[in-house]
Amino acid sequence: MKLFQTEHSFNYPWDQVTAANWQKYPNELSTHVISVDILDRTINNQGILRTERLIGCKQSIPRWLSFLVGGATVSYVREISEVDLKNQTLVMKSMNLTMNNLLLVKETIIYKPDPELNLQSTLFKQSAEITAFASVSRICDKVEEWSVERFSQNARTGKLAFENVLNRLNDKWEDAGVVKDSLLLNEVKKLQF
Amino acid sequence: MGNIMSVSFAPECTPAKQEYDDCFNKWYTEKFLKGKSIQNECTEFWDNYITCINANLAKEGIKPMLDKAREDEPFSHEEIKKDLKE
Repeated sequence: MKLFQTEHSFNYPWDQVTAANWQKYPNELSTHVISVDILDRTINNQGILRTERLIGCKQSIPRWLSFLVGGATVSYVREISEVDLKNQTLVMKSMNLTMNNLLLVKETIIYKPDPELNLQSTLFKQSAEITAFASVSRICDKVEEWSVERFSQNARTGKLAFENVLNRLNDKWEDAGVVKDSLLLNEVKKLQF
Repeated sequence: MGNIMSVSFAPECTPAKQEYDDCFNKWYTEKFLKGKSIQNECTEFWDNYITCINANLAKEGIKPMLDKAREDEPFSHEEIKKDLKE
């Protein structure tokens, strides 16, 4: 098993980041995400919004790996998320449904206000456990190495893509007056310009 | 400001999904985040959309692996609370 971890701070308030999270795809950089569906959505008695999503991905894989896993083109990921407005947290947990007998990727993402930046930015923490199952452990190592590399590539792209989405939505919300009264946002702007 | 929206895994569900997503995103930014509503108000769009999805999950053979994942890794509320404490 291999672990992947990363942290990043987005220069937008938490509430805006969580709203943009629902509209992250499609974007011009994350072309491997081809569909997003909501399977279930509930609000519990503490006001926590829990969502189950099915995400469809298409990604080219090296020939030596496609020989192992067959020629599957689309793979699916199940994701559970919880938005806790009171405590200002968004947690997303996911795992792949397709071929998880060969390669299992379990990911956890947490978004919460960045305590070091006076809550004007949002802290993003991502961690993933990547496990390959095969009878020959050397193949496992190679598959895991390749997967970690691909995962970190996607994570870098994802960060950049989400910055772009945040930018685009921020302009849209400003035009519509949605964020006009956001004190946090005004503070962020003062810092930026 | 063209609204690019994600599509459904089942093309025939995409129109219903986009109607639902539109309603949800509006509700989320304008009500939920402001603490004005703890009830999801998009039920009429939801019913259409989820009926379409459920039919296609079965048709495309996704349902069995989905159910297995739900059982193996429920990602329960308790588990999420634990992640937040770490």
